[in-house]
Amino acid sequence: MSASRWHRVRDLFEAALEESPSDTDGWLRARGADSDVRREVLSLLDHHSRAGDFLADPIVSRAPSLLDEDDVAGAVVGHYRIDRELGRGAMGRVYLATDTRLGRAVALKALAPHLTGDASHRERLRREAQAAASLTHSGICTVYALEEIDGQLFIASELVDGHTLRDEMSRGMPRSAEAIAATARELADALASAHAKGIVHRDFKPENIMRNADGRLKILDFGLARIERRADAPAIAGATVPGALVGTPAYMSPEQLNGQPADARSDVFALGVVIYEYACGSHPFQAATPLAVAARVLESEPASIASRAGNVPPAVGAVVDRCLRKAPGDRFESAGAIAEALRAGQTAATSSAGPAPFIAMWRIHQLATMLLYVAMTTLGWWIKELLKPNAMLLAVFVALGLSSAAAGVMRGHLLFTSALNLAHLSGERRRLRVPLLTLDMLIAAGGVLAGLTLVSVRPLAGVMSAALAVGLALATLMMEPATTNAAFGHGAR
Amino acid sequence: MRSVQDADDLTPVVYRELRKIAAAYLRRERPGQTLQATALVHEAYLRLAGAGSPWQNERHFVGIAARSMRQILVERARARGAQKRWAGLDRVTLSASLAAATDPETMLPAVDEALTRLEAIDPEQAKIVELRYFMGLGIEETAAALGISPATLKRRWALARAWLFRELSS
Repeated sequence: MSASRWHRVRDLFEAALEESPSDTDGWLRARGADSDVRREVLSLLDHHSRAGDFLADPIVSRAPSLLDEDDVAGAVVGHYRIDRELGRGAMGRVYLATDTRLGRAVALKALAPHLTGDASHRERLRREAQAAASLTHSGICTVYALEEIDGQLFIASELVDGHTLRDEMSRGMPRSAEAIAATARELADALASAHAKGIVHRDFKPENIMRNADGRLKILDFGLARIERRADAPAIAGATVPGALVGTPAYMSPEQLNGQPADARSDVFALGVVIYEYACGSHPFQAATPLAVAARVLESEPASIASRAGNVPPAVGAVVDRCLRKAPGDRFESAGAIAEALRAGQTAATSSAGPAPFIAMWRIHQLATMLLYVAMTTLGWWIKELLKPNAMLLAVFVALGLSSAAAGVMRGHLLFTSALNLAHLSGERRRLRVPLLTLDMLIAAGGVLAGLTLVSVRPLAGVMSAALAVGLALATLMMEPATTNAAFGHGAR
Repeated sequence: MRSVQDADDLTPVVYRELRKIAAAYLRRERPGQTLQATALVHEAYLRLAGAGSPWQNERHFVGIAARSMRQILVERARARGAQKRWAGLDRVTLSASLAAATDPETMLPAVDEALTRLEAIDPEQAKIVELRYFMGLGIEETAAALGISPATLKRRWALARAWLFRELSS
């Protein structure tokens, strides 16, 4: 844009701001602005009205945090020598430091002053750190000490050299069934050891899980969430203010989102979300904003993990589905129960190599229904032979036979899909649901019709035929939804 | 007033001085307090305003200082953004864009690039943004530094914000 054109735009923009005409376009035309200038001025006015507090806060007010140099190397804090900064966050900063007394490298977390302000808070922090320090599981980052140096609180803990589970997940898919099973098992075992001591994490999420150089997972920051929550506004209130986001509701259980106290079952929920996300590559309650995620956590049922990823071991899938139940009482009591369920599932898988029990039930249902089709068709043929040939009867028999064949093929297809390509099963089930329902009702109607025709001649056979038909109808309408739910989770169809 | 070219030549000196003073300030400061940009600039001016100093007056100096401030902060934000983020400490959001909108590490470099484009169209607009946003000057101070009326400054500041907002939201 030429300088003179820009000045024209600028002057018109300013005049329009001043006069705020009701019909800006007309106002601009009256001032002889050509279409390009008009469009530019209108666009700028539009963006002006939407700019909100964009750039309203001078960035210089953030200069302290931006400029603060990492010139801490070599600084001595108590008996720690700071080597460099590892990172910073809402809770404070973490440094790589050397414990000069013991000569070992540690992660030294300097807690932000706003978290450690009042005495009761410090006391609480001390208790939490003490509790966390009692955890010695290899899957938990060990807390060495809580230090108070010049009025500043520090937590010294094991240095975990590696990357977070978040990093690992952001590197993409897919993950093998073994990796999923191993991750679930390691996390459940580590969390179980804490739950056994009555210690709850409260902020279990992929950012708090690291994989060290040996490939082992370590859970960080046990019990610290409570401190953070206390210090800041309620987590959800923070979510409405961009930039003030403290943590994310994405791993909070429904009861935590409702402001109720968290217990081991809240960790169980979070563990379910983490394994789900690790296995599928996407969050079970994925939504555009943290608030929308929270709403989904509270209200909607996630798609079953088996329907989202084909290579999830059935035992893991069943565990995750149960971890994600809304009511704490419907979940596992603690991570210990999960660890047990996973071990049992693995034993079952290695001993029988069979699928999860509920999927087996679903398969049996499919088979039984297929047998019912055969029985109905055979019965239909028999009835047709018993009675005088008649066009109506022939039509019923043909309909019965064709419907049975078609429905049988469909159920067979589902069975094969469940055995060979589990990931596509839910899609196939959805696709065939209406056709199958229609065919089953047709077969049942045929059976009832044939039975009623026969009942005066051969009462027993007539009643049997009608009963089988009613049985088929009920199996399709009542039993199948139930077994499907059991096998693939609530809301599955 | 000197030409823009001259001011740019002076920038490194001011930059170094500002950086030094800022660091000293920060060491003294309590967390959460606001860095007083005006005080900072004034201090830098006094320190550099020895004999033979190339700027005519403090007002001229403010313009250079604002440019330096922009460089310092943007550079720092770039470095910070590039730094590997350490686990579990970063604010975590599902909606990265939401957080990114106010995260200086992400936003500043983008603002800087857009501002450079705006500067090519209208250097005064860029100056306004440097003084208001990077330097934290008030309406009156900015207007005085540019020699325009506060009312005009307000409208031009609105234009700069609208223009940059459009650049960054497209």
